[in-house]
Amino acid sequence: MYRYDEIDRAILTDRVAEFREQATRRLAGLITEDQFKPIRLMNGLYLQLHAYMLRIAIPYGALTSAKLRKLAYIARTYDKGYGHFTTRTNLQLHWIKLRDAPDILEHLAEVELHSIQTSGNCIRNLTADPHAGATADEVDDPRVWAEAIRQWSTFHPEFSFLPRKFKIAVTAAATDRAAIKVYDIGLRLHRAEDGELGFEVLVGGGLGRTPYLGSTIRKHLPTRHLLSYLQAILRVYNRAGRRDNAWKARIKILVSSLGAEEFARQVEEEWEREPRDGVDLPDEELARIRAAFAPQGFETLPPVSAAFQSAKANDRAFARFARHNVKPHKVPGYAIVDVSLKAPGETPGDCSADQMDVVADLAERFSHDEVRVSYEQNLILPHVKLDDVPQVYAELEAAGLATPNIGLISDIIACPGLDYCALANARAIPIAQDIAKRFADPERAEVVGELKIKISGCINACGHHHVGHIGILGVDKKGEEFYQLTLGGSGAEDAEVGKMLGPALPADKVADAVEQLVEVYMRERAEGERFLDTFRRTGMSPFKEAVYADAR
Amino acid sequence: MTMKALTANRLDDGEAVFWMGGRWVDRFAEAQLWGDQDPDADAAEAHAKSELTQVVDAYLIDVIESEGGYAPLSYRERVRAMGPTNKLEHGKQAEGGASIEALVHAHGAARSTGRVNLIKRK
Ligand code: SF4
Repeated sequence: MYRYDEIDRAILTDRVAEFREQATRRLAGLITEDQFKPIRLMNGLYLQLHAYMLRIAIPYGALTSAKLRKLAYIARTYDKGYGHFTTRTNLQLHWIKLRDAPDILEHLAEVELHSIQTSGNCIRNLTADPHAGATADEVDDPRVWAEAIRQWSTFHPEFSFLPRKFKIAVTAAATDRAAIKVYDIGLRLHRAEDGELGFEVLVGGGLGRTPYLGSTIRKHLPTRHLLSYLQAILRVYNRAGRRDNAWKARIKILVSSLGAEEFARQVEEEWEREPRDGVDLPDEELARIRAAFAPQGFETLPPVSAAFQSAKANDRAFARFARHNVKPHKVPGYAIVDVSLKAPGETPGDCSADQMDVVADLAERFSHDEVRVSYEQNLILPHVKLDDVPQVYAELEAAGLATPNIGLISDIIACPGLDYCALANARAIPIAQDIAKRFADPERAEVVGELKIKISGCINACGHHHVGHIGILGVDKKGEEFYQLTLGGSGAEDAEVGKMLGPALPADKVADAVEQLVEVYMRERAEGERFLDTFRRTGMSPFKEAVYADAR
Repeated sequence: MTMKALTANRLDDGEAVFWMGGRWVDRFAEAQLWGDQDPDADAAEAHAKSELTQVVDAYLIDVIESEGGYAPLSYRERVRAMGPTNKLEHGKQAEGGASIEALVHAHGAARSTGRVNLIKRK
């Protein structure tokens, strides 16, 4: 795990002192809200329905036990004892007081955390594959590059006033666990035929009012040129992106209006024009960052663990957990363990301070001190010995964190929606709770198989509804909460934007509709097909007929 | 009949608050209500917008009758006056009582209507 150097630490200390001064002046009435609002937003402090909300950046979703314990401490001391992990792998605290915010930021700085670049038209907190450094599926550790981009983009003066916010995601695996196709820039590390490591560069993905999947503008960018190439993309966008209309200011609109080819041409031209040496990462610096992520402390173990096998044979519940929440690790004898924040009936992504402490302890004892946050709003213990998985499972189970539902129908993404968010049209959380309760029986959920439901409370699409196998969007129809369903979306490597099912449904009909959709799938599915596969084969009609049969 | 109330978030802790004859109160049940056309409502709003140390984002909301009490017309405003519906132990609803029941059982707009002089919050 990368550790801050003196420069990083000094930046954070100064920033906290500066914000403390600004907040004090605001509370004394020496500056107006209009003057203060951009300042508090730059420090991650939003005003929501019930209180201030603090958004804490978790760069590429990577936490240590010390960081997670600090988050638990803050949630317990300054909030109501819980936090909400988001699809951007940030943590949001929903009950923050302005007068406490400087102290909270000071606590965060102690463990190298902050809320910088969680708001505003800058390059935001990076996301990366949460299985980085653990999955056998990757060609390199994407955190190395994510960290390089983090350092390069932090307070980048040229890119601190972009037309709109800017989000970058990185993966190095064939399986896309970072949703790179719905990012302003998506980076996929791969090896060319001659073995050279490089990035496939995708630009112009994004959800919101006009969803687009990113277009590949370069198939293979040698890794050493990453930063100069990013700079060229940002420069073209900064120059030509629209600033007259916030809805049309994201890079996706520019890429779609120019066409990906023309956009790529302009980027290449910009990239060729400038010397790259001052921007691209020097080899020594890359080596320094890389060293921070070098695999450490792995033991040489047999690939099969007798303890793990016998627990699976003797405990059906554990066997189910092993099927859905335990993933192969690149080191023999180790596993990646998914910690579900989706117990049916609970709020997706919510984690109590006590639960954070449990996960932090498990990370320290069993997972090389590391925890990851996934954009699907779950936590991950990336390096657990297979021998230890039964013990980890037992402790997760005792804390309500062992729901065996990763990737299943009750593993629902939901944004905070109208229960908290000032921008919402409708609630998202209760809809998720209704659906998850219907499929709370783990046997039933398992029979249904992989099915990703994603819910947003408004068109800003924080809940990624466009790329849900079943997407649900809250709308305000004549003053009531209604929900627009889409089918066939995917945020993974087979990314696609979902298609509208039909007229929006009232809140109390959504869970029924999901059951009907599942019934159609169970009836129609061919051997081995996921919900998404069946939908892609049959098209909309059988699903539409089932849900709207009564209406005709 | 539609009435009006003045709401805002308190500056120092962000709590949703309501105007009552010169001060801000936490409970919607204690909020001052004005008739639909009462110019005093606009005067109170203008005053709230001009001061610097008490609240932020003051605006008028539409209020309707519900179960013998009153409730904001907009669902969004009822959530502000109650608390999040996923955690009934949090927010103002935790204390319960008839005035909270009136909010729970009211019917009306989700978001777009019921906020007078709708402000854009981004
Ligand atoms: S999608 Fe809308 S309602 Fe949900 S968190 Fe984002 S802005 Fe708020």
